[in-house]
Amino acid sequence: MKALYIASTGMAAQERNVEVISNNIANMRTSGFKRQRVEFQDLLYQTYRRSGASTSDQGTQVPVGIEVGSGVRTAATPRIMSQGSVTQTEKDLDIAIRGEGFFMVQLPDGRTGYTRDGSFERDSSGLLVNVDGYQIMPGITIPENANSLSISADGVVQAYIGTDSAPTQLGQLQLARFVNKSGLESAGDNNFVETAASGSAQLGVPNTDGMGNVLQGYLESANVNPVTEIADLIAAQRAYEMNARVISGADEMLQATSQMR
Amino acid sequence: MDNAQLISLSRQMALQRQMDVVANNLANLNTTGFKAESLLFEDYISPTAEDDLFAGADRDIHFTQDWSSLHDMGAGPIVSTGNQLDVAIEGDGFLVVQTAAGERYTRAGSLQIDASGALVDLNGNPVLSDLGPIRFEPSETSITVAKNGAILTNEGAKGALRIVEFDDPRALTRAGNNLFSGEGANRATATSLVQGALEQSNVSGVTEIANMIRVQRAYASMAQMMQRQDEVRRTAIQRLGSLNA
Repeated sequence: MKALYIASTGMAAQERNVEVISNNIANMRTSGFKRQRVEFQDLLYQTYRRSGASTSDQGTQVPVGIEVGSGVRTAATPRIMSQGSVTQTEKDLDIAIRGEGFFMVQLPDGRTGYTRDGSFERDSSGLLVNVDGYQIMPGITIPENANSLSISADGVVQAYIGTDSAPTQLGQLQLARFVNKSGLESAGDNNFVETAASGSAQLGVPNTDGMGNVLQGYLESANVNPVTEIADLIAAQRAYEMNARVISGADEMLQATSQMR
Repeated sequence: MDNAQLISLSRQMALQRQMDVVANNLANLNTTGFKAESLLFEDYISPTAEDDLFAGADRDIHFTQDWSSLHDMGAGPIVSTGNQLDVAIEGDGFLVVQTAAGERYTRAGSLQIDASGALVDLNGNPVLSDLGPIRFEPSETSITVAKNGAILTNEGAKGALRIVEFDDPRALTRAGNNLFSGEGANRATATSLVQGALEQSNVSGVTEIANMIRVQRAYASMAQMMQRQDEVRRTAIQRLGSLNA
């Protein structure tokens, strides 16, 4: 009886589902977090009676055969890269992206991290870094005596140096975008890294070539919707219970057989 | 006398298979675009064991045989996801994907874009438009899918997703991975797409659990019947074989 194994694939799939949902809920207050979803697919079918097989000398055929499936598998956990809501923080170096694009972070291992989390800081040398102290690319240095820092919608960073009456341009923020942003690999710490599936990064200036614009003094919240997550959690839990019920049902059937004399 | 046991056995074998079908349906309770399966039974009349010489002709013996598994092609609930590459299918149509084994049909509309910009399903099989695979440029954004499958981006029209319908969708065979294979695809006339939504599995948990309990009880009662038969036979052997008879 395959039912035992089929139901166990169902339980394993729902377990994975709950894991992903709990990670979404755990990160519902993480800036720039993009929620994930679990996609399932049915497994191969075993054909007991093939449709189209002939059933008599007169050429009649089986109209519909017998196919019994062998369960379910988790096919993918795509990230939903939709825009999260933007909340005001009034901090100079908090930057939200509205629309397409990722900030680039120089990771210590030499790779480039891509992130939507724009809560930046200045390090001791004045460089623009993320909360882990990794440099934002291209590097922008903010002098010690700079004040009234402003970042325009297209990413130009300006400040008044000392007692200057005109602002000085300190740098230009760049964004990266991908053909298949759902194919990015999650590297933790709010960073993604590029993979063969995502394609290579296309760099650009905010507000041009389909890139989004940047918003100073705001942060992008996670795009997790707690109501749908809880509803999904309940559905996953019930599905898990039903699969467990099938296992005990199949077990009782086997018991009925084994108790026959 | 053996017949009673053999008939029960045929029923039990069919019930085991039905249990597998129920288990598969429940395992796919959350599978996008999954269609529930059900088994149909027929009786198989044993051609032998007829003898009219007895008083009262022999009755036919009916064995149980599972005859076909049917796809329940009813629509699943459509749930909004807000993802621009999710499309739900309203109506009886299917999307067409190109696999190594030929064209396959699917109701699971969670599409992706691969590294080359091609529109693919979750296994990386290209999703076909009327003019073959659909490819997006890296600079293209705001993809919209119209009801008739026409795709539009900020850089213009990209062709239309091919949607097909079948005269008899129940004749389709399942190929796993949410795909169906079959012959006789016609251009869809009564199907529309909904962007930003997905069609859930049409398996009803309550019905399947009820089915399962029914299968389980039928199986147990068959087991009990076989046991009773066994007792009848044992009693007969004891009585007939005793020296006092």
